[in-house]
Amino acid sequence: MFVLNGERQDVLKAWADETLLYLLREHFQLKGAKFGCGVGVCGACTVIVDGEAVRSCTFPTSALEGVKVRTIEGLAKGHSMHPVQEAWLAESVPQCGYCQAGQIMSAVALLDGTPNPSDEEVETAMDGNLCRCGTYARIRKAIARASEAVR
Amino acid sequence: MKRRAFLKAGGVGLVALIAAGAGVYSQVPVIPSRPNPDLEAAAGWITYQDGRYTLTLPRAEMGQNIATAMKQIACTELDVDWDLVDVVLHDTNRAGLKPTVGSESVKLFTEPLAQACASLRDAIAAGRSRGEVEVVQRARSELKVFQGGGSVGQAPKLTQGLEIVTGQALYAADVELPGMLFGRVLRAQTSTEVPSKPIAWDMSAAREVPGFVAVVEDAGPPIGQAQGLGIVAERPGALDVISEALNVEWGIGVDHPRADISASIDVDRTRSEGALPHVAMDGTPEAGEWDVDLRFDIPAAAHAPIEPRAAIAHWQSGDLKLWAGTQDAFYIRDFVADAFSLDTDRVLVQSTRIGGGFGGKTVCTVEAEATALSMAVGAPVKVQWTRPQEYALAFHRPPSSHRLKARLAGGRISDWKHDQVSSHIMFTAAVVPSWMQAGTDMFAGDGGVERGMVPPYRLGRARAAYDALRLPIHTGPWRGLGAGPNALATESTMDEAARAAGEDPLAFRLRHIDDPRLATVLNAVGELSGWSSEPQSTTQGETRIGRGVACGIYKGVSYAATVAEVAIAPNGNTKVTRLWCTHECGLVINPDQVKAQCEGNLMWSLGMVLSDQLPTDRGRVSAEYFTDAPIPRLSDTPEIVVSLVEGTEPPVGAGETAMVSGPGAIVNAIRAATGQRIAQFPVDFEALAV
Repeated sequence: MFVLNGERQDVLKAWADETLLYLLREHFQLKGAKFGCGVGVCGACTVIVDGEAVRSCTFPTSALEGVKVRTIEGLAKGHSMHPVQEAWLAESVPQCGYCQAGQIMSAVALLDGTPNPSDEEVETAMDGNLCRCGTYARIRKAIARASEAVR
Repeated sequence: MKRRAFLKAGGVGLVALIAAGAGVYSQVPVIPSRPNPDLEAAAGWITYQDGRYTLTLPRAEMGQNIATAMKQIACTELDVDWDLVDVVLHDTNRAGLKPTVGSESVKLFTEPLAQACASLRDAIAAGRSRGEVEVVQRARSELKVFQGGGSVGQAPKLTQGLEIVTGQALYAADVELPGMLFGRVLRAQTSTEVPSKPIAWDMSAAREVPGFVAVVEDAGPPIGQAQGLGIVAERPGALDVISEALNVEWGIGVDHPRADISASIDVDRTRSEGALPHVAMDGTPEAGEWDVDLRFDIPAAAHAPIEPRAAIAHWQSGDLKLWAGTQDAFYIRDFVADAFSLDTDRVLVQSTRIGGGFGGKTVCTVEAEATALSMAVGAPVKVQWTRPQEYALAFHRPPSSHRLKARLAGGRISDWKHDQVSSHIMFTAAVVPSWMQAGTDMFAGDGGVERGMVPPYRLGRARAAYDALRLPIHTGPWRGLGAGPNALATESTMDEAARAAGEDPLAFRLRHIDDPRLATVLNAVGELSGWSSEPQSTTQGETRIGRGVACGIYKGVSYAATVAEVAIAPNGNTKVTRLWCTHECGLVINPDQVKAQCEGNLMWSLGMVLSDQLPTDRGRVSAEYFTDAPIPRLSDTPEIVVSLVEGTEPPVGAGETAMVSGPGAIVNAIRAATGQRIAQFPVDFEALAV
């Protein structure tokens, strides 16, 4: 049993050998987290497990017992978006958008623990999230904007 | 076909009929001919029903946010509120559309869309709400878009932006169908231009894997010369386990004659063997000593989209439906119809948002794999390439080797010579089968390799020539095609020529420029960056700081200039600290997203100089993950300032333009900081240590 976006869920036996990424995408139909590399080096699959940004493509479903998983689908409260989502739209961050769910989840995890991060803290938290379109300058601005909003 | 716009959603679509050859896995390439869009084609893009409009996007959406720009055009010309227009991505059940390549969307599609919307607006104003509308061409001066009206020049919220930040399904791999299975086609770990095929495999071990469904021997057409073996499973994770359990034995041909790629792409060697066959500039430089004589070697590079390509195929009762994140849905349709001997009207390809294209998602690969597997198992099958497959089986930016020479007379360039050897971009082996290559190579140059070989300067007696050699890896279009590497070489050479002339590099360029639009962006970037004719290098403690400049014209229509600042540590570690870029692409529909394209191009420029390099081994791509072929990260990102120069010409594209100025500016800044002219890319930081 684990908690997914606030709801208790079980891992079915058929999914016991799968990764959290595929469990989310193909069993729970939560398509926000993306497959990018399968070895945890691009960040497109990032979700938050017990408050930490983790790479769901290398996170085995066998390790889910008793943890709390938060995905991008669980960020908004009704029609009210999370400040990081608002900031991403305000700065028109996305180009292709494929990496952005992972970028947003890494930013949420950063700001949850460090509401006013330094430039170095932003770099450390975000350097594992690759973006080939080159939206990094806007990601920085969006994090600064969200940081003001959450403080 | 009559010229008409469809008022009513769900009306009869326009279906293009493009003849396709027959034969299973025919080795004749499918090259559909599709003209530039006209009013007839545009008529089907916009429909009206019950007070709402539907814009069927005639382009692929891959992050250029063309959906937003075209919605701006539609809303402006229809003269309706933003929220009244719904945008949907196209399928192939309509008149054929050009592939989304070459930064052509705004250039070629703005006017037809505006004309269709204007006629639809008039029809509705006249009280019509049903039937079909004839699109009557009017003068550009009567179109609101070309007058900069409505939302033109603004930055409305991004189409699909909300869906992206809330994680909704948008991409091919996000499509969900009842009973869908997961597939993969395994291929030998070898060059795609060496014949290979599966010989033996352990079927019983595969059957033991929970979730195993099938092994498919007829796995669709080869990729290059690599034949595959298909596997299908109930869950995606089982595919890795099955492929390991199968332990496939591969039959692999002998090494490709150019298995040593870097030794093969050597401009001086090829030049010593005879004249280069293809000529981009045909002047005749005088014999004698040169003031600048440089050799540049730029390696192969991957597109490295974060989305490995994906497709879902659903074969049912003789009809095939495909969902694909492709830059060319119509090519996919025609290729698959040809390969599997289907009528094109029984194949429907629905395009989805692409998770990064950059020129790399233009051929048919994963779509044919999914088709073969779906046909074999009789269920919908999703195939998404693994990251190692994305490196091994996709095509890449070809390596290129350049020899540049310049001679000065009276402080100006009097003679210029550019020799280049590269591999194919247009007539790529990813499309042209090997038996056909000898034929095309004999008569055809390659416009992709050639792109950007004619610098935007008065160069006196100037000659530029090239050859393209077949390689064991697949090469092809990569953001800007030849323009990026060629401009890197020519802008480096211009910089050295300015030094040889003892002149400021910005002023030196201006003295060789005739085109006032280029002079304008170059002057503008000088002002933006506070460029002065003082030496462009300083130190801060032990850190060496340098500034460089470069400029260029892309495809003869759009203009960019860049100033870069770099900081180089004593150990040679090089950081781009600031980039200033000016850009002119005529009338701008969405300034914020043109800037976004400039920012993207600048990050690609940074990667091109500092990191892009695709490792190969005995003719095959040996990179498997981003760690093997790093791309720029957030911590590599400089402060970026982009300024758009207002243009009066009709709008053109921006998706590749700054690739002509970014790399040159960065490498010229390194030259200013260190005194070293970089000739081998990417930069070897250790060589810059003091």
